[in-house]
Amino acid sequence: MNQFPHGWGRPRDDVYGAYDASYLNSTEPVTHTQRPIVTGTSVLGVKFKDGVIIAADNIASYGSLARYDNVERLLQVGTHTVIGAGGDISDMQYLHLLLDNLLIREQYPADDHHLYAPQVHTYLSRVLYQRRNKFDPLWNSILTAGADPKTSEPFLSYVDLRGTTFSAPALATGFGAHLAVPILRRYVPDDAAAEALTQEDAEKLVEECMKVLWYRDARSGVTYSWAVIKKDGVETGNKKIENQSWKFAEMIKGYGAQNI
Amino acid sequence: MDALVSKYAAEPELDIAEEDDDEVGTGLPQSVSFTLPPIDHPAKFLRAMTDDHANPSAPIKLKHGTTTLAFKFRGGVIVCTDSRATQGSWIASQTVKKVIEINPYLLGTMAGGAADCQYWLTYLGMECRLHQLRHKRLISVAAASKILANLVYSYKGMGLSMGTMLTGVGHGGVFGLYYVDSDGNRVEGNLFCVGSGATFAYGVLDRGYQWELTDEEALELGRRSILAATHRDAYSGGYINLYHIKEDGWVHHGFNDTNPIFWKQKLEKGEFQNVSTTLDA
Amino acid sequence: MASSYMLPYAQQAPPSYAHPTEASQPRQHHWSPYTENGGVILGIAGKDYVILAGDTRSSEGYNINTRTARKVFSVGSGLILGVVGMSADGEELARKVTRKIDDYKRNHDKHITVSAAAVMLSRILYQKRFFPYYCQPLLGGLDENGVGAIYTYDYVGSFEREQSRAFGSAAALITPFLDNQINLKNQFVPGSNGEQPKQAGDLPRATVEKIVKDAFTSAVERQIEVGDGLQLVTITRAPPRTEEEADDDDWTGAAISVELSPLKKD
Repeated sequence: MNQFPHGWGRPRDDVYGAYDASYLNSTEPVTHTQRPIVTGTSVLGVKFKDGVIIAADNIASYGSLARYDNVERLLQVGTHTVIGAGGDISDMQYLHLLLDNLLIREQYPADDHHLYAPQVHTYLSRVLYQRRNKFDPLWNSILTAGADPKTSEPFLSYVDLRGTTFSAPALATGFGAHLAVPILRRYVPDDAAAEALTQEDAEKLVEECMKVLWYRDARSGVTYSWAVIKKDGVETGNKKIENQSWKFAEMIKGYGAQNI
Repeated sequence: MDALVSKYAAEPELDIAEEDDDEVGTGLPQSVSFTLPPIDHPAKFLRAMTDDHANPSAPIKLKHGTTTLAFKFRGGVIVCTDSRATQGSWIASQTVKKVIEINPYLLGTMAGGAADCQYWLTYLGMECRLHQLRHKRLISVAAASKILANLVYSYKGMGLSMGTMLTGVGHGGVFGLYYVDSDGNRVEGNLFCVGSGATFAYGVLDRGYQWELTDEEALELGRRSILAATHRDAYSGGYINLYHIKEDGWVHHGFNDTNPIFWKQKLEKGEFQNVSTTLDA
Repeated sequence: MASSYMLPYAQQAPPSYAHPTEASQPRQHHWSPYTENGGVILGIAGKDYVILAGDTRSSEGYNINTRTARKVFSVGSGLILGVVGMSADGEELARKVTRKIDDYKRNHDKHITVSAAAVMLSRILYQKRFFPYYCQPLLGGLDENGVGAIYTYDYVGSFEREQSRAFGSAAALITPFLDNQINLKNQFVPGSNGEQPKQAGDLPRATVEKIVKDAFTSAVERQIEVGDGLQLVTITRAPPRTEEEADDDDWTGAAISVELSPLKKD
């Protein structure tokens, strides 16, 4: 046995071969099981006075190619929950399948118990955490949004491919975590601010953030789906980003076709 | 019947229940069933995550133990250790109990991975008790050490890390002292030092060792050897933990701070002359 | 390897001793199942109380995930568990401990002691020795004599009962402060010319609470992963049982209180 403290009981190169740092490498998202192929980008969610709003654009990218422009990344689960997924689209569709089956199973007893957002979020987090334990992750980051049908208490939570979960009055996945969250937090820093926010202002805020993402996230799209969940249920719709201004790009030279 | 049912039952859903780690199914207690990462080379994965020698920024730094010694003499066995645990260069603890009391007759020392030593020596305690119940007498140290050696050998290559001295008194008042490590070595001997400070401890111990030591001299020799190691080895320090094994079991002789012991040794006995008491000298 | 990751040692195929050399296989990129969510937890045990505190920031890289994450959990039978590192693993561990403590109560018809729970937690961690939980736990509770106990662990289950301990990204900042202020290390009786060390004694709860808050406000100043809020959980001895409580199986003799206070959010 190696008597030097650093080497104490640690694996020796002559026995195990050289230290292989590639196991630590997470910068290149490739595994022996899978990698994301067709991907969606950010999902945004904001709580407001009597509900929560969630939005995701309709692009599915294949690398840097905007392969599909009509993909629905929001899914209504039951009566008072909507989930939005970023990351691998096929994994998202598998999760949709799981949730469909779950919902059907939950209907059988007809016992007046229903799945609402906290239950859906917990279910998703268990699935994702268990898959990471199997080294076979579902390559998604997901927002679960919902409202309690009795108290209208809004719910908004995040879960990702490692099973990491957290919640906050405003959340965004993917690029949105960098571009949208600072804007969202300026208006909704805490629960108290969310309780003071009107639905109209929340919608405007999400619109603004989707616009910023459209300007700067190269994997984003110009149309997006949104859903508002309140005490009385889910309302959904589609929107196109209006009143665009590309003035900020006028000074950018060297990339486009303009004459320098 | 079960096979028939499962044949016609719906496709099972993804099982999101926790992995079954309870005491059912395997016929073995939960304590000996471990989760492995489901990949081709689990040991490589474990090493990438935990070997902070090969990669100082490895995410998981395990606690490592350091200087331990044990020797047989006329009056039994002396066991002495320091108490420092390090994670890389961070001193994770100065109060580690590196002597593990397996039962009133057996002691094990801790070097290498702290958790591995704690866990497997406790497990060994269970096996020793079972042996005692089955055979109506104490297990011999030779047998106990062999259980441990065989056990860790079955995990060879998986990344366990322990260098332990197993010592005590067995059936018929026979003293035993064995060095057992996670490479699979099991060596009987009269005197061992294990850990990064072992060389320093050997220096003092070999100089003062003889079979005919009195109990007091033997205890003092153990203490002094560890003191030398804590002084010269950065990975050793904290407290000196001292045990004496006699025919009727072990006796604890204190868990004492090295710092006052060092100064007492220097000022009252005139040792460590290289250390000055003033800044300018 | 598909289904072989729960085999007991006796049934495992003998581990391959010599691994293939680097040259013989293509270079692989591996996905890491681990992430680091930052933060710090701190536990201090007194003669009749335990304080376990954690900040409420959860981060990943330079992103702040949320400012309201909890790191200290009540796990039943009057015990509390603090976890720091990867929050998914930490929360899984807390769930597992909670469930097993509940199992214990149902099986034995009594509350688990903190020392038994400490061993149990060690076994839970060691069960994942080869695929460790990426989190460092602190277990707090009152022992059989009503004395505060903090059990501290490494990632794979080595444990020790201690007076005070900080874990997490600011542990290196807080630990020397605790050594000095709680264990009175390197403090001497005034006038003794540095020869008579001060003896660490029982500090009153109010003093310790101040020390905990100072530790956190200071850590926030120098460590980006720490901040937003302080979750301070205290266990004290519950008042003597009333007559209605005499047959109450949920009565543990411990009273747990939680205090939330703000920390800097920059």
